[in-house]
Amino acid sequence: MEILPSRFLSPETTQKLLNELYKSGGIVRMMIQGPNLPRTVTYGPGKGLPIEEHRNLLVEVGGEVLELRVKVGRVRLELEGEEFLPGIQAACERALPFGFQIKRGRFFREISTISDYAKYGKDADKRILGLVDPRAKKESALAILSEKDSDEKEER
Amino acid sequence: MAYTPQYYPGNTSVGANRRKHMSGNLEKLRDIPEADVVAIMGHRAPGADYPSTHPPLKEMGEPDCPIRQLVEPTPGAAAGDRVRYSQFADSMYFAPSIPYWRSYWAAINCRGADPGTLSGRQIIEARERDIEAYTKKLMDSEMTDVARCSMRGCTVHGHSLRLEENGMMFDMLARTEMGADGNVYYVKNQVGIPLDKKINVGKPMSEDELKKRTTIFRYDNIPYGGKVGARKFDEALEALHHMWELRTKWGFRPE
Repeated sequence: MEILPSRFLSPETTQKLLNELYKSGGIVRMMIQGPNLPRTVTYGPGKGLPIEEHRNLLVEVGGEVLELRVKVGRVRLELEGEEFLPGIQAACERALPFGFQIKRGRFFREISTISDYAKYGKDADKRILGLVDPRAKKESALAILSEKDSDEKEER
Repeated sequence: MAYTPQYYPGNTSVGANRRKHMSGNLEKLRDIPEADVVAIMGHRAPGADYPSTHPPLKEMGEPDCPIRQLVEPTPGAAAGDRVRYSQFADSMYFAPSIPYWRSYWAAINCRGADPGTLSGRQIIEARERDIEAYTKKLMDSEMTDVARCSMRGCTVHGHSLRLEENGMMFDMLARTEMGADGNVYYVKNQVGIPLDKKINVGKPMSEDELKKRTTIFRYDNIPYGGKVGARKFDEALEALHHMWELRTKWGFRPE
């Protein structure tokens, strides 16, 4: 399923939302997406200058500290079952002070694409598929929140 | 009978605002000091001399030409200033101006300016002291809301993105920020180079005020085609259809 807030989330709201979602349970994997927050000015006369405002965008989810690299505008989830849907809805209502849309559907792919094949090889971990950009580094873009149940993990 | 230019048709508030923008008959809402506008533009240090690309026209010994005698040069052209630019991005969420309207405003009201519109941004080029005066006019007037419009020389995207939580238009380079006092501050110039001091540009408009002043037709305020299911369209849409029809026929039958 996909959660689409009507505004971009600040790091504080992101942390609140992700924690509420995490607590509501039933999450197999989760992905956050939005426009990139570069560390430096990418082009123009100011190219290379650091953007101080985008440093230390740390959020703590499920005991794990993650660094945000995007302005959160979309959260995709894979749930264990439909019975967790009302919990997710309630979590969004608690965490978001403005409107949002929830779409039901399958948003992560299950079959390896050519890019996935080139990156992960033929025995790719299916849980990673569709979770991160194939160009991203797995170590920095992916976080595993629960080792007990290896199915529970989260990007960034 | 004196001729009154007719800038835009329609009886909607959006039509009226568009007429206002194009005619240049704008309401002044704030007064941002000239030095601050120059600092945000970032082409020269405030108070510094204007660098020039050619000697003043008076010293140039121009050839005798009736057009040169008719057209008085703008101050920037007369002094031989460089050509510089200012570029704005406006949010599609009820920003007071849309990029094309900034262009129309500049083409009609600013002498010696070269406006250009690209999908979500609008750039005006002119001689340096002229563009500074035009930009100050833009920033002081009702064509600008400090949260939904911002000067962006590079990394302009934000026009069609959702707003941030505090109602500001998203900016990847974080040039503007909402202060604790509710005012919007520029912390960087238009290309993302940090400013020496924060520049206060005032408070953003309320949502109702924005909806009143916007030149954007939108389904959730004043839609272009009248209300859903309405049989009578606004004059603006009729005029657009008329122009489209004539242009299409001209294309097929150049008589």
